[in-house]
Amino acid sequence: MRKLPLLGLAMFLMVSQLLFAQTKTISGKVTDRRDGSPLPGVSVQVKGTSTGAVTGTDGTFSFTAPASASTLVVSSLGFDSQEIAVSGSLLSISLVNEESRNLEEIVVVGYGTKIKKDLTGNIATVKGSEIQGTPVSNFNQALQGRAAGVFVEANNGKVGEGVKILIRGSSSISGSNAPLYVIDGVPINTSTYSGNAIADINFNDVESFDILKDASAASIYGSRAANGVVLITTKKGKAGKTVVQLNSQYGTNRPTNLRGFLNASEYVELIREAAINSDLADGYDPLDPANYPDSYLEYVELTMDDISGHTSWRDGLTNTNWEKKAFNYDAKTYAVDVSASGGTEKTKFYLSSSLNRQDGILIGNNFRRISARFNLDHAVSEQFKVGFNLSVAQTTANRVSADNAFSTPMQIVALSPITPFANEDGVPYNSPVTTYPNPYVDYTDGKYESITYRNIGNVFGQYNFTPSIFFRTEFGIDVQNQNDDQFYGFNTDAGSGTNGYGESDWFRSLDYNVNNYFTFKKMFGQKHDFDATAGMSYQRYNSEYAEIYGQQFPVEDLKKLASSALITGGTSVESNSSFLSYFARANYKFDNKYLLALSGRIDGSSRFGKDNQYGFFPAVSAGWIMSEESFMRNSSILSFLKIRGSWGLTGNAEGFGDFGSLGLWNAGSYNGTSGLTPTQLANSKLQWEKSDQVDIGIDFGFLRNRISGQIDFYNRKTKDLIYNVPVPSNSGFTTQLTNVGSMQNKGFEFVLNTENVILGGFRWSSNINASFNRNKLLKLDGSQTIIPGNDGRYLNSLIVGESIGVFYGPKYAGVDPANGDALYYQADGKTTTASYNAAGNFVVGNPNPKVIAGFGNTFSFKGIELNVLFQGVFGNQVMNGAGGFMSASFDYFDNQTREILDRWQNPGDITNEPQVRFLGGNGISASSRYIFDADYVRLKNITLAYNIPAALVRKFRISSAKVYVTAVNLITFTDYPGWDPEVNTDYRGATNGNRNQGADFYAAPQIRNISFGLNLGF
Amino acid sequence: MKKIFIIILSTGFLMSSCSKKLEILPTQSIDESIVFTSDANIKAALVGAYDGVSAASLFGGDLQLYSELQAADGEIRWAGTFNQPREIYLKDILTNNSYVTATYNRAYYTINICNNILAAIDIVDEDDRDRVKGEALFIRGTVYFELVKLYAKPYSGGNMSTPGLQLITTPTLGNISESNFVPRSSLADTYALILADLTQSKSLLPGQNDVYATTYAASAILSRVYLQMADYPKARDEANTIIESDEFALNSTYAAAFNNTSNSPEDIFAIQVTAQDGSNDMFVFWSTLPNGARDGDVDVLNKHISLYDTADARLGLFFPDGVNIFRSGKWRLQYRNLSIVRLAEMYLTRAECNFRLGTAVGATPDEDINETIRDRAALGPVAITLASILFERKLELAHEGQAIHDVKRLKGNVDGFAFDAKELVFPIPIREINAVGDILEQNEGYN
Repeated sequence: MRKLPLLGLAMFLMVSQLLFAQTKTISGKVTDRRDGSPLPGVSVQVKGTSTGAVTGTDGTFSFTAPASASTLVVSSLGFDSQEIAVSGSLLSISLVNEESRNLEEIVVVGYGTKIKKDLTGNIATVKGSEIQGTPVSNFNQALQGRAAGVFVEANNGKVGEGVKILIRGSSSISGSNAPLYVIDGVPINTSTYSGNAIADINFNDVESFDILKDASAASIYGSRAANGVVLITTKKGKAGKTVVQLNSQYGTNRPTNLRGFLNASEYVELIREAAINSDLADGYDPLDPANYPDSYLEYVELTMDDISGHTSWRDGLTNTNWEKKAFNYDAKTYAVDVSASGGTEKTKFYLSSSLNRQDGILIGNNFRRISARFNLDHAVSEQFKVGFNLSVAQTTANRVSADNAFSTPMQIVALSPITPFANEDGVPYNSPVTTYPNPYVDYTDGKYESITYRNIGNVFGQYNFTPSIFFRTEFGIDVQNQNDDQFYGFNTDAGSGTNGYGESDWFRSLDYNVNNYFTFKKMFGQKHDFDATAGMSYQRYNSEYAEIYGQQFPVEDLKKLASSALITGGTSVESNSSFLSYFARANYKFDNKYLLALSGRIDGSSRFGKDNQYGFFPAVSAGWIMSEESFMRNSSILSFLKIRGSWGLTGNAEGFGDFGSLGLWNAGSYNGTSGLTPTQLANSKLQWEKSDQVDIGIDFGFLRNRISGQIDFYNRKTKDLIYNVPVPSNSGFTTQLTNVGSMQNKGFEFVLNTENVILGGFRWSSNINASFNRNKLLKLDGSQTIIPGNDGRYLNSLIVGESIGVFYGPKYAGVDPANGDALYYQADGKTTTASYNAAGNFVVGNPNPKVIAGFGNTFSFKGIELNVLFQGVFGNQVMNGAGGFMSASFDYFDNQTREILDRWQNPGDITNEPQVRFLGGNGISASSRYIFDADYVRLKNITLAYNIPAALVRKFRISSAKVYVTAVNLITFTDYPGWDPEVNTDYRGATNGNRNQGADFYAAPQIRNISFGLNLGF
Repeated sequence: MKKIFIIILSTGFLMSSCSKKLEILPTQSIDESIVFTSDANIKAALVGAYDGVSAASLFGGDLQLYSELQAADGEIRWAGTFNQPREIYLKDILTNNSYVTATYNRAYYTINICNNILAAIDIVDEDDRDRVKGEALFIRGTVYFELVKLYAKPYSGGNMSTPGLQLITTPTLGNISESNFVPRSSLADTYALILADLTQSKSLLPGQNDVYATTYAASAILSRVYLQMADYPKARDEANTIIESDEFALNSTYAAAFNNTSNSPEDIFAIQVTAQDGSNDMFVFWSTLPNGARDGDVDVLNKHISLYDTADARLGLFFPDGVNIFRSGKWRLQYRNLSIVRLAEMYLTRAECNFRLGTAVGATPDEDINETIRDRAALGPVAITLASILFERKLELAHEGQAIHDVKRLKGNVDGFAFDAKELVFPIPIREINAVGDILEQNEGYN
């Protein structure tokens, strides 16, 4: 630790000053400007020296300083630093909380910054300090519920994997719906070979997330901005005393919920009942010994003999709870972060290193990230500044298969409870004793390790020609190197029969970016405030991967492909694209009241044909700060009021593939000879998707901003949506990528921040955000109004006039009381039928939430702080695509969910659960039978922290110490009958990922984490 | 200030050289306009056509699987978890059945490659032109034949004006055209195209062509077409041509005809499967986990096993997997070829036709059945009747994909369904009806 010598030096200096200089005592008290409460742990230093002190719990400080000391620097995490002139010996200092919704706050916008008060667009800001230390792997999960209009959904409870983020709804059918992420000016790559590229980022290094939501805020990023932009600014050093922070935490991960399946006796009773029902339906009674041979009952009982292993299903002694075997009940999380920041007026730095380890809740699933960051700013001269921001991370993940693979841990629930977990020697049973390949064998005998090295950084130079004009150049890179190493042993699903299966995949991507721009800023006269920015940007993406697969390993200990006797395949694939852009923006403010902003960007991309290579993306916005008007200025109630409006055009070029407009043939092969095969139908007219967005908003503050908030209405229409339009397959092609449709997202966002109680040392503040979004498909290709998506398991469809991905298909009408048949409504909506083919199609559900909301509360008293964040999603449905297996009226040997106990048994029974029929397919095709409301409210995050009084820790040379306990997903309130209502199975994303929402398919429940932590400052 | 000039100069440089920076071409694909410009490229596309027809959803196993599942009749059982084959097994197929859809799509995908080759055939070197054309016609005719047997009413139903297939004979280039929005041609017209393609390919193809289509492969498929049409003289003559050619010979044992990594002397046409290339869904669904397949999705039941004489060498190929469950040994091993037509079938066809016609072209039915087929199966002679010939055919070709097509042409029934029942005809995939529009007629029972 460099810290100790530094401290020693500081103490030496202080002592020498005491001895040789004339001194004086400076003391005082630091309070919070909002409520006058004392602030502990604040650093007070004589400017330009390391002489100073830290305030105690009562906010007071006292130290001896040279008589010449004239200015103090007062700083504390989460507050704006201040310089105070020393006058008298007892100082009263009040600090402004950065998080106090202060209107003077600096907000990061594209290619610059702005004061929040002067914004004419809609930008949601989340401070890094709000999510610091949240025990999740991906910052998007930490942002869940914290920003209006930002919908976050983790696919499932696999750690470090897919998380969907939608800003103001879906705007694309087939393109990407993900926002553009820009870290310190560098647009980063969000695509990766496997896993999640966002999980490589250590968000404890982040100072702020500024989420550009409306078109005027985002359109400076032109063709990249239709889904919003997340600007991430990392922490920078401040001149003054070097601050060292250490955070360490330790916790446990558990599933949020287990859903429960039949036990052994229920299983035996019901599957026999199902077999007998099927035999009776074929006209014979299997209980009659003459009919028993070749009956369903015989087949089921003989199979049960097989799957009982060394035990017998007849005695009922074996009762395996397979669901529990999917989880790791020893899952832990562990994190350590160390950072140091400081510097001089000329050179400032921020350094950090961190280790974050999370065991997944699923067997065989874990995640570890080791990262380091070094940010440096240096002033070469008064005019010229240079610097860099650099991060290096290694992410190691042990993955499990996608949700639709037999080998994924959650599919273990399909196994029969009459099958013992292990044989008499303690070896876990596998197929054919287990009805399906046992995923536990993949866990013990397989591995899928993915290691990524990620390097994101940029170098910049800024030259101030005059105080009002500067030029800035930035060169950024984002490099990913990933290696996925897989091996499956001789008994696993993938490796059986081939003496093992091994795969080695190497992926590399390089994304580099150049930004050059001029900024001009000047006040003309007293009232005309003008600034302008103009420049260019060039970005180039390259990615390559190579894969090799092999079989036939001599022993399971030899897992590398060097030991494979049969290399079964290999490939290498390259992809390239580039963007060239020119942008400009001008802001004008008159008399601090009237705001006007114009911006435009021209984008060119290699992804489009020559004729449609460039697009133009303009925006205009205006604001009126009414509270600055003389007629309102003296209001004692209303302290701030701004009305603003914006219009702009943004584009989307992501998710099209790099060569979507060309008619292409790829290599194919037969009998070891290579050939050519058609892969893609041409579309020479392919172009950008374009979003046209209007936003009208009000920002308000009452009672000296103790109550403040924001209301926004927006209407975003996206046209030229690309879609793989079905074409007659007699052409040899099934789809063609075409700009066909348009879609609308209309919504309303509401943000309210309140200081509820400020009483003595007790403080309670709240923030509420609620967002209502209505997504509507306005047009497909003009001729089709419905593209039904019923694929037998799911019903996500595209229907004009409805939201993207609504469930469209047969409507389940319950059970025929006469015979136990599952019934559906015919097209008239009234008559019922037992024939699935004769059923009518209806919109039977919507996976898009109507409302998303967050409700945060902060309570503080003396050194104790309690943060409580509730997050909710309302008005959406989820379809269980595995219903046809796990809730399938015993169609097969899969263990069944517990609703089946209410099955129809006798004529006259009124129930929603059809008669059980083995291989009878009674109501098991995709229908509203498997669609459920998925509203939920979740105690997303709760943190209780205690700041140990500085006086107690000072003797350990510690300036501040905090202990805390934090929990993620502690309690969930929902009626969803599955594992977890926050779900979208991971295997359906590759094609139609935007349409394929709201799907459950053996998806792991979310992770519930409880962690203890310690935070020390030096 | 020097640094600033460098920055500004480099900015200017970047801006000026930029337009070239957007010119990026694919590295794993080529534009369609380049494909049909050279002899070598068209021959590569021909390999692509074999790649197409060898896919799992066509001759890579699913065509054979469908036929056997439809003709199950209590002799086999779909015990697997996949719904789509089960619907076929139960004769209760949904119009969105993804297997039914994939087979339809893959068939036309392959036909489009053939159409492209045929349209550009003049670019092929003259020496090879007949062969390339013959192979493209062979694949197109064969694929249409497989489709019409599954997706239309059987020829034996006698109604020649019933809908057959959408007949596409021109390539798709640049974009979809009006020719793709066509109704189904009649069954008569569909069979006419199949006969024309196969007859022409028979005359163009050589007698030997590595593992690719030969004139005998075309004859063998033609003999099947004629059998469907109950044109016994022609079916007999095509079969006889192949037998008399001496290009093929029965393997000394029955088992040697299966699980081969290269064509056996008996294979007239076979799909090549290697570890790197090709699919074999018959293996995937019929074999077992220890062999690297799924866990035995098709059970062979006692009703089938009990048909064999205990001395029958063909019985020995079944291997037990559970008390009452056997697996077909024909599909036991991974990465093995799929035999599409083998010589034994030609003997059986010749015998049946000779018997029906009272002729002895090539050999007598007694010689073909007793001395050739039964002899290899280590069985003694039986009395020759039509029934005994057909029974021999059933056992010899069991689980190779001919079952339902024989049931249909012989006007039999399975699982209580008559040969021309609407349940034994696949639906036209709903996605195709949606894409083409109402002019595309759905099969009876699926509306």
